[in-house]
Amino acid sequence: MNPILTHVFRFIVFSLAQTFILNKLDLGFGAQVFLLPLYLFLLPFETNVLVLMAIAFGLGISVDVLSNTMGLNASSLVFFAFLRPLVFNLFRPRDGYDSLKTPTIKDMGTSWFYAAFVSLLGAYLLWFFTLEFFRLSEILLILRNILSSLLITLVFVTIIQLFFLKRGV
Amino acid sequence: MQNLFAFLRRFRVFIFFLFLQLVCLFIYVQFMNYPRSVYLSSANQISGSFHSFENTLTEQLHLQETNRKLQYENIQLRKRVFSDAYKVQRGQFTIDDTAFLQRYTYTPCVVVNSTLNKRDNYFTVDVGYQQGIKKGMGVITPNGILGVVFKSGKHFSLVKSVLSQDINTDVSIGNKGIHGILKWGGKHAKFGTITGVSNDLVVKKWSKVKTLGASGIFPKGIVIGSVYKIKRVENQALWDITIKYSEDYRSLQVAYIVNALFLKETQALERSIPLEPEL
Repeated sequence: MNPILTHVFRFIVFSLAQTFILNKLDLGFGAQVFLLPLYLFLLPFETNVLVLMAIAFGLGISVDVLSNTMGLNASSLVFFAFLRPLVFNLFRPRDGYDSLKTPTIKDMGTSWFYAAFVSLLGAYLLWFFTLEFFRLSEILLILRNILSSLLITLVFVTIIQLFFLKRGV
Repeated sequence: MQNLFAFLRRFRVFIFFLFLQLVCLFIYVQFMNYPRSVYLSSANQISGSFHSFENTLTEQLHLQETNRKLQYENIQLRKRVFSDAYKVQRGQFTIDDTAFLQRYTYTPCVVVNSTLNKRDNYFTVDVGYQQGIKKGMGVITPNGILGVVFKSGKHFSLVKSVLSQDINTDVSIGNKGIHGILKWGGKHAKFGTITGVSNDLVVKKWSKVKTLGASGIFPKGIVIGSVYKIKRVENQALWDITIKYSEDYRSLQVAYIVNALFLKETQALERSIPLEPEL
């Protein structure tokens, strides 16, 4: 499939899945599954940061409108998009990134994927929950939510990586 | 001028980031503080109809549970009717339209969307100002209370639920009517907390928690749960009481919006309390 079409298709599927399935799950311990950061992560390596942030903003607003969290998702996704090139630079392979490859486990290897994704997702969750609670006295609750959401999201992301994404798509 | 352009080019990524963040945070704070942005929430027509479509798909799955609850509620109501009739026969009550004015009217509604794992949880219900729903009306459920109407669109309304930080509903505990304020600790949808109860009062475990009705938006005496855990607050003469809700908000399907007919009168009276003592 045309790569642009793939990303448009994913945009729709990911935002609908996040709003109508994942946000409804009550997993306990404040755990929520965050699928939208994976969408931004999977965009091609050479995507311009400005474009990335604009996409993040659009994605966040469309989910916010559907789930009554005005600006919350949009703000954290823009933060994620802003950090993505910085973190990718940090974990750059010796020869730089091959523009034919995509940022998935199959193309870039397990250790690269988890190192980059966990650091980005951690920052994202910190931003998200701090903004949602907005109170320093609830710091323990925030930390608990971050940890549990990080673990459950990683499980989901691994499953998606293993079963749904084909090489080079 | 040249320097300015050079600066803008150099930091364009960060400036764009700041700009987008400002837009997001502006929307976020607006929504938290002022119920203005009716157009961009699920009280909106389009996403409201989206959610009610989703609800028609999923409500079949809950039919048995809903039926069971309705049946239970019917039994409760029937009991009340028979016991009233019994008293009438004794001649202690005379039913007379001029003696009993209706105090509350109820509008039934269906919950089309809800969240449970946020810090402040809102429920979307399928009635709006077309049905006469206004901001500040109470919402009750078959087994308890749901919250207060936060904003109403034409066909849908948003209810700030008891699973929110600052819901502050006035409640009474047990038969002696100990007063307290209901809040939510943010941990689990089954449990709420009551603050403001002085620790020289005796609170028993499993005693019933009812609405006090002092604010006038809820009828008095609706059972909302029972006391589950009692703990001392350090350095303060207060109890920290955890209650278990009798309603399971995770599978809530129907609710009733309460229209308090005497609310204006009581509020007008209470406004006339002088701030300074009159000599």
